[in-house]
Amino acid sequence: MSVTLILTAAVLSLCTAIMLLGNTVYSPAAVWKVLTGENIKGATFAVRTLRLPRMLSGLLAGFAFGMAGSTFQTMLRNPLASPDIIGVTAGSNAAAIFLLIMMNLSGTAVSLGAVLGGVLTSAFIYLLSRGGKFEGGRLILIGLGVQAMLNAFISYLLLRAPQHDVPAAYRWLSGSLNGVQLSDIPMLAIIIIIFSPITILLGKHLRILELGENSAVTLGVNTDRTRILLILSAVISIAFATATTGPIAFVSFLSGPISSKLVGAGTQNELPAGLVGAVLVLLADLIGQFAFSTKFPVGVITGILGAPYLIFLLIRMNKTGGAS
Amino acid sequence: MRQSEKVFITLIISLICILLCIAGSLALGSRSVSPGELIDALFLGKAGTFGQIVVRERIPRTVFSLIAGAALGISGALMQAITRNPIADPSVLGVNTGASLFVVMGIAFLNIQTAGQYIVLALLGAAITAVFVYGIGSLGAGGATPIKLALAGSATSAALSSFVSAIMLPRSNVMDNFRFWQVGSVSGANWTNIRAVLPLLIIGFLISILLAPVLNAMALGDEMASVLGVHTGIARAIGALAGVVLCGAITAVAGPIGFVGLMVPHVMRLLLGPDQRIIMPMSAVGGALILTAADIAGRILGNPGELESGVVTAFLGAPVLIIIAVKSKGSSL
Amino acid sequence: MNNEHQLKVEHITAGYDGRTILKDIELAIPVNKISVILGANACGKSTLLKTIARLLKPSSGKITLDGKGIWTFPSKHLARVLGLLPQSPVVPEGIVVADLVSRGRFPYQGLMKGLSREDHAAVAEALEIMGITNLADRRLDELSGGQKQRVWIAMALAQDTDILLLDEPTTYLDITYQVEILDLLTDLNRKKGTTIVMVLHDINLSARYADYIFALREGCLVSEGTPSEVINEELIKEVYGMNCSVISDPVSGSPFVLPKGRHHVLDSCLA
Repeated sequence: MSVTLILTAAVLSLCTAIMLLGNTVYSPAAVWKVLTGENIKGATFAVRTLRLPRMLSGLLAGFAFGMAGSTFQTMLRNPLASPDIIGVTAGSNAAAIFLLIMMNLSGTAVSLGAVLGGVLTSAFIYLLSRGGKFEGGRLILIGLGVQAMLNAFISYLLLRAPQHDVPAAYRWLSGSLNGVQLSDIPMLAIIIIIFSPITILLGKHLRILELGENSAVTLGVNTDRTRILLILSAVISIAFATATTGPIAFVSFLSGPISSKLVGAGTQNELPAGLVGAVLVLLADLIGQFAFSTKFPVGVITGILGAPYLIFLLIRMNKTGGAS
Repeated sequence: MRQSEKVFITLIISLICILLCIAGSLALGSRSVSPGELIDALFLGKAGTFGQIVVRERIPRTVFSLIAGAALGISGALMQAITRNPIADPSVLGVNTGASLFVVMGIAFLNIQTAGQYIVLALLGAAITAVFVYGIGSLGAGGATPIKLALAGSATSAALSSFVSAIMLPRSNVMDNFRFWQVGSVSGANWTNIRAVLPLLIIGFLISILLAPVLNAMALGDEMASVLGVHTGIARAIGALAGVVLCGAITAVAGPIGFVGLMVPHVMRLLLGPDQRIIMPMSAVGGALILTAADIAGRILGNPGELESGVVTAFLGAPVLIIIAVKSKGSSL
Repeated sequence: MNNEHQLKVEHITAGYDGRTILKDIELAIPVNKISVILGANACGKSTLLKTIARLLKPSSGKITLDGKGIWTFPSKHLARVLGLLPQSPVVPEGIVVADLVSRGRFPYQGLMKGLSREDHAAVAEALEIMGITNLADRRLDELSGGQKQRVWIAMALAQDTDILLLDEPTTYLDITYQVEILDLLTDLNRKKGTTIVMVLHDINLSARYADYIFALREGCLVSEGTPSEVINEELIKEVYGMNCSVISDPVSGSPFVLPKGRHHVLDSCLA
């Protein structure tokens, strides 16, 4: 529990930092006044239009990515099986971009399409990898192949896209908190308020699923229903988060292992993983904004930070025989 | 059907397809050329009409897609043979991305410009990545199993392409013409860079042919190969070097083109069996065919623009990876 | 046709990663004979075979072939004299029998040349000896365990070496195939004078088929000689840590080991 508290504190202080920092640094008092409705010249625009959506989207999307990633990893019993590595996210993105460009849809319809794309991709990968004995390594290989195909399809769609659709499509390709609008936030917030409790409640069943199909059935867990519900809520959260911020590289993948290290292996992990996701996104956004002379979008920073960790994790898994 | 007949028939069919692809590659694109103009430009050396000029301009690109496909096919076959791993391939192992990253770094920080400099950096990047990925993949029990190699490769590849993006992003004005450092394309080839990579490719081709009997022995396991008189360490090093040189040189010109080296040797093994003396040259033939066809497909699908050939090969080749994964028994992963 | 190649193990100490497995082993392989290395699991049988086949460099001592250290031979040259069938060689996917067997001709091939007439003849003879000529065009993955093992031995035969080492050639085979393989190896030894050294698990089959036995215990050579000289109750106790009775095999006349466990032993047999 104390870990959760510390993580919450970290999230809150990062949120505060994002609200205060920028081209002009405002005092907490000034920010508070703006938020409570007062109009301060300059500050109102910066805080309400730029920083508030930035902070909220980072918080919510990071939480969604972290929790969903951790769900997949636990369910498939493999730290590499996060949705951004096995191609589920790519499935969502491909569906969204297809609807945007080919069907001229926008808004919630696209997000729902992304959900469908993610679910179908998950089902496809899962069915292919089942064949007799469930095999984690095979699932990841298949996921890598599926991802490569989907990315090729996305490249094709982008090339076909009319000029005016391209910016909207790019939202689904590169993770960034720039340009998020306050009106984008409520939808994402509602989704997360609905689906994260489901994930957390089912987390207990997930711990038993971890013991393997047979033990889970013996212990009275409805395995198929649990899996389907968990996959659905994970994919839905990711799809709506991606619709707001774009895919932020490696956050889904990183949050689970980091939080399970913090809370200890085998403990219920969903809430801490979501908080770690939020910390990662907010922190990376601050780094991207202020650490270099060029401003980097958050996805590039998490990409650079996450990649070495991915390799480190592989080295450790190989040494202990986890991957084979 | 006898083995030699199978090889012969496959070869003839491939060569006919390659000829068709060459014609297609010269004639098709954003400005298509009639067969008459094509023949005039090619065989009568005419360069009067616009169509004839277009054909001439497409010759280096066509030549390059043929040799690049051949090189990538052989490179994949070599890597699969020395690792005894059906999914080893310059793209799955991240070698192409490594080459790409070094070239991009060279452009951004060292201001490199000549084809020779590109190639040196690409080879360096490819070699370092290959050693790195193989090193990670062979840690732990069981050595370099397919799954461990693939994961190490794609993780490394993801890491390296993050760096490529980070380097290219602040320099988008300089880099806009260099999108092919992220997804490979043969469109940028010209005679200068073909001449620059050709010697390397010839060396790579020769090594792969000479090494084929040794690789046949190594297919039976390192112990068996040693008993048959193979220095497995030396053979593996030479094979890896040749494989890296082949794909590194191509990446220096075209950026990372994926999956050719994965699917072509796989299809050839399915059709013609596991004899490396046949697999090596036939992978060259198949690779040339696939990449040229992919380039044409990219031009047709992308019309009026162009879809990078690397996108098309990924779309064709990724299913092969999926099929190998589905077919393989748990134990062999 | 006899061969004269003298293979000697001279004070070998060897192991992996600093862990010593073989301790100061000294022995001479009997020429034109079938020798079997016996011992409990992890006693160093396979390690000894690997060291002899130059797959493992000894930390001290040396293996000599006709008086010269084997590490001084060019590798292809040695490969024409000394062959080994490892315990689990890799099967290239989709390979056909004739192709696999012909890979045994590697030490005779030049850099650019394909298979010569001689190579083809050697492959045909190897298939003939193993009785698998009719399987030549079949894929290896379609064959039964016993047939596969014959193919591998045929490959080793195609290598045409005067000395052939085999690491557990009968493991995982049904008893019928075990006997069949051992019969074929005996044919080979009698017809061509090939010196055969193998690791076997089955003591009784070893006693039947071996001309000579080396018994290892924890990396040391504890006994050697003909089966009737070597195999007795004391040696089995020493090597395997098991009580037994040794009788004369009513079929072959060689020693036959009857294990004595804690149950199902008649009072009259208790020592």
